[in-house]
Amino acid sequence: MYQKFLTARSPVRLLEKGLHGGLGKGNLGLVLAGHGIGKTSFLVGVALDELLRGGHVLHVAIDQTVAHTRAHYDTLFGEMASNARLDDAPLVHADVERRRSIRAVSSGTFGSAKLREAVKIQQETGSAPVLVILENFDATRAGQDELAEMKALAQEIGAEIWLSVACPGEQVDGLPGALAKARDCFGVILALEPEGKSVALRALKDHENPDVSALRVALDPRTLLLTRS
Amino acid sequence: MATLELSKIRNIGISAHIDSGKTTLTERILFYTQRIHRIHEVKGKDNVGATMDFMELERERGITIQSAATYCEWKGNHVNIIDTPGHVDFTIEVERSLRVLDGAILVLCGVAGVQSQSLTVDRQMRRYKVPRLAFINKLDRSGANPRRVVEGLRDKLKLNAVLMQIPIGLEANFLGMVDLVTMRAMRFEGDNGERIIEEEIPTALRAEAEAAREQMLDAVSMFSDELTEAILEEKVTEELIRDAVRKGVLSLGLCPVFLGSAYKNKGVQPLLDAVNAYLPSPEDVQNTAIDLENEEQPIALSSDANKPLVALAFKLEDGRYGQLTYVRAYQGMLTRGQTITNSRTKKRVKVGRLVRMHANDMEEIESSAGGDIVALFGVDCASGDTFTDGSIEVAMSSMFVPEAVISLSIKNKDSKNQGNFSKALGRFVREDPTFRSAVDPESGETIISGMGELHLDVYVERMKREYGVEVETGAPQVAYRETISQRAEYLYVHRKQTGGSGQYGKIGGYVEPITDGSKDFEFLDEVRGGSVPNEFIPSVEKGFRSMIGKGRLIGFPVIGLRVVLNDGAAHSVDSSDNAFQAAARGAFREVYPRAKPIILEPLMKLGVEGPIEFQGSVLKTILQRRGTVIGTTEAEGFCQVEAEVPLAQMFGYATDLRSNTQGKAEFTLEFARYAPAPRDVTEELIKKYGTRVKGGDEE
Repeated sequence: MYQKFLTARSPVRLLEKGLHGGLGKGNLGLVLAGHGIGKTSFLVGVALDELLRGGHVLHVAIDQTVAHTRAHYDTLFGEMASNARLDDAPLVHADVERRRSIRAVSSGTFGSAKLREAVKIQQETGSAPVLVILENFDATRAGQDELAEMKALAQEIGAEIWLSVACPGEQVDGLPGALAKARDCFGVILALEPEGKSVALRALKDHENPDVSALRVALDPRTLLLTRS
Repeated sequence: MATLELSKIRNIGISAHIDSGKTTLTERILFYTQRIHRIHEVKGKDNVGATMDFMELERERGITIQSAATYCEWKGNHVNIIDTPGHVDFTIEVERSLRVLDGAILVLCGVAGVQSQSLTVDRQMRRYKVPRLAFINKLDRSGANPRRVVEGLRDKLKLNAVLMQIPIGLEANFLGMVDLVTMRAMRFEGDNGERIIEEEIPTALRAEAEAAREQMLDAVSMFSDELTEAILEEKVTEELIRDAVRKGVLSLGLCPVFLGSAYKNKGVQPLLDAVNAYLPSPEDVQNTAIDLENEEQPIALSSDANKPLVALAFKLEDGRYGQLTYVRAYQGMLTRGQTITNSRTKKRVKVGRLVRMHANDMEEIESSAGGDIVALFGVDCASGDTFTDGSIEVAMSSMFVPEAVISLSIKNKDSKNQGNFSKALGRFVREDPTFRSAVDPESGETIISGMGELHLDVYVERMKREYGVEVETGAPQVAYRETISQRAEYLYVHRKQTGGSGQYGKIGGYVEPITDGSKDFEFLDEVRGGSVPNEFIPSVEKGFRSMIGKGRLIGFPVIGLRVVLNDGAAHSVDSSDNAFQAAARGAFREVYPRAKPIILEPLMKLGVEGPIEFQGSVLKTILQRRGTVIGTTEAEGFCQVEAEVPLAQMFGYATDLRSNTQGKAEFTLEFARYAPAPRDVTEELIKKYGTRVKGGDEE
C-alpha cells in the first residue's frame, strides 16, 4: 500500500499515540505557533495524511488564493513522494486532488455560518469531509460563540476541524488571552516552537488528560514532517 | 496621404470579457473619432448592430469572433484598433491579434470585475508582452464598485493597477470622474456625451481625490527619479506624472486604470487621451524576425522606411469585396504596385490595392509605413505568412499554435454544393491555424478538428451562413494519445530469403518513457563498434518513426517514447535500408505491448463563474463529468470554480451549465495537459477499437 510509505513520517501517527487517539471526530483542534514557524505546513500535513487514507478534506483558505494553498499541498506531496520513491506518484496525486476541496474565501464574510454552507455543498456533491482545515482563520477575533458553533458543527458531521493561531514571538506562552474563555471548545491544543535545527511539537491540552507530557516530537522545519532520526 | 510619423501610430487591441461592453466601447471610440456618425448598440433594436461586429453570426450571438481591424484618428494620432474576440474557444484569434498589437486596453465590467476570461486574456497578453491600460466600464450599473475591480486586478492578475481617476457618484448617480493628474472634475454632456465639462472637484470628493492622487503618485514615482524628486520638492507637474506613467506602462510594470460607462457615453474620450499618452507607438516596441538564411537566428527589425520590407499577414477575410489580407508592416514600406515575396511559399505577388479598413468600409491608400496596419486585396496566402520585398529571407517568429484536441466528421448534405463545401473549408484552414481539415483515408469522411466543441460549431454555422452549405456532423472525437509506462528491451531479427538477394537486419536496444514531457519522440544511437553500420541507423529511426503515428492500443499517435539502439548485426549482401526499416517496425510491434502502453486523454482546464447561490449546482456539473475541482474562490456574491475535466466528458457542457444555473454562470475551457485515462475508460476504448479492427479495418 502506497499510503503506508507516505504516512510513515507523518506526525499524525505520533499524535495518535501521544494523544490517546489523536484529535478525534467531532472535535476542534488548535495549533499555536509564531509567525513563519509552519502552522499551515503542519495543517497541510495533517490533511494529506487523511487524504492518503482515503478521506475527503475541506480546506478553507481565508484571504488566500487557491493557487497558494494548492502549492503548499504540491510541495509537501512532492517531498513525501520522493522520500517514499513512489512510482505511481502522479496517479496517487490525482487521487488526492480528487478528494480535496480548497475553498478560498475572504475574512470579511467567513464565519461558522459560511462554514456550515460550505460543508453542506460538500455533502450534496458526495464529498462530505471528515477533516476540515481552516487556514488563516483568526480565532482570537471570532469569539467564543463562533467557536462553540464550529464545535457543534464538527460533532454534527462527525469531522475533525483544525485551526491555527499566530502567537507573538517564537515560543508559545500558553493560550492567548483572547481565547482563554474558549479553551473548552478545543479538544486538543498543540504548540510548534523552533528548537535547535528542528521544530518541536508539544501538547498544551489533550482532551481531559491532565498529563500532556507524553507528546513531544521534533519535526523537520521545512516540511513539518517527522525528522528522520 | 502623407507617410505617418511613427510616433503618432498606436496599434491597440481591446481585450475583454464577453459581457464587459467591449463592442459598445469600440463603437463609442469610433463615434468620438468621427469614423461613424451614429451610435448603434450591440444586438441593437435598429438591427444595425455595433459597427465592429459585422458578421451576421456574431450579431446573432452578441459576441465578436473575427478580429477586424479598423482605424481612427484621435488628436493627431493614428489609432489602429484590432477587435479581439472575447470567447475562449477562439483564443487563437486573440493570440494572433495580440501578436500585431503594441498595446491594449483591458476592459472590465465594473460589477463583475476580473472574471475567468479576463485571466485567460491577461495571460496571453503577458506571453506577448503587451503593455496595457485597464478600463473599468459599466459604472452606471447597480453594484458597480471600481475599487473592488482594482483589487481584483492586483490580486488575481497580479497587475500593478493604479487608479488614474476616481468616480463622481456611482450606479444610477454616476456623473463623471476626477482626473488625478490634472485634479479636475469631468462631466459629459450632450446627447452622446460629446461635450466634456471640466470643473473644480466637488468639495465632498476633495479629500478622497487628494488621497487617491497620493496613492497614484506613490506607485507611479517608482518609474521616475525626476518625479520622486519633484514630489519631495513639491514641484510635481502633469508632464512629469505622464512621463512616469508612460515609462511604467512600457516596462509592463504599471497598469493605469481608467473609469467610465461607454453605454452612458462617459469616460471614453479621456481613455483615448490615455491611449495617446501612455500606450507605445511602433517605435517604442522592439520586434524581431527569424533569419531563414542563418539557422533561424532572431534579428531585430526597425521601423525604418528605407530598410527592406518585412510584413506579417495576420488575418484573412473573405468579405463582400473579395479576399482581404490584413497585414502589419514591421519594417520598410508597403506601396501600391510593389512586388512582394511570401517567405513561406517563395511566391512573388504584386500589391494591387492597398486599403485601410474601417469595419465594413475602406479607404484606398498609396503606401503604408513600417508599424502600420493595412489590408491587401487579392493576395493568396495563409494567415501567419510573412512578406518581404524579396531582398531578405526572414519570417516573423512562428506563432504558438496549440494542437487540436477534438475532431468531428462532417458530410455535405447536398452533393451539388461540393464546390462551396471545399471552398469554405479551404478558407477556414487558411484563416485559422488551429482549425484543420483532412479526409480520413479509411472511411473517406471529411474530418475537421480544432480547440473545442464550440470552435467547430462556429465553423459549421459559418458554412451554412456564408456558403449556403448544410452539413451533417458525426459524434465529436477526442484526440487521445498513447504512451508507454515502462522500459522494455528489444532484440529483433528481420530475415527474408525468397530467391534472389535476401533481406537481413538485426537490432537490439530498449524503449523507455520520456517522463518530463519535453519531447514526443527521441531516437538515441548508442551503437558501439559498428555492429549496425552507420548508413542503416537512419533507416532504423525511420522504421520506428513510421510506427508512432498509430499506436497499437487504440490507433492514436504514440508520444513520450524514447528508443535507444545499442546493438545489432548486418549482412554484407542482404542488409539494406528497407531491411533495417522492417526490422525496426518488427521490433516496435514486439516491444510495445511489453512496455505497458497506456492511453492518455486530454484534460481541460475549466473555469466556471457565477452567482454564489449556484455553487453547489456548478460543482455537481463538474463532478458528474469526472472532473477534479481544484478550488473555489468566493468574492462578493460571485464564485469562481477551477477544475480539471477530461475533454471527453465536456460535450454539451454549455447547455448543461446553462440549465443548472438559469443561464447565470459562464465558463472558459482550455487545454491543460495529457493525463493517463482511468482504467474503465481505457478498457472501453480498447474494446471499441478492437471491434473496429475486427470490423475489417485491419491493416
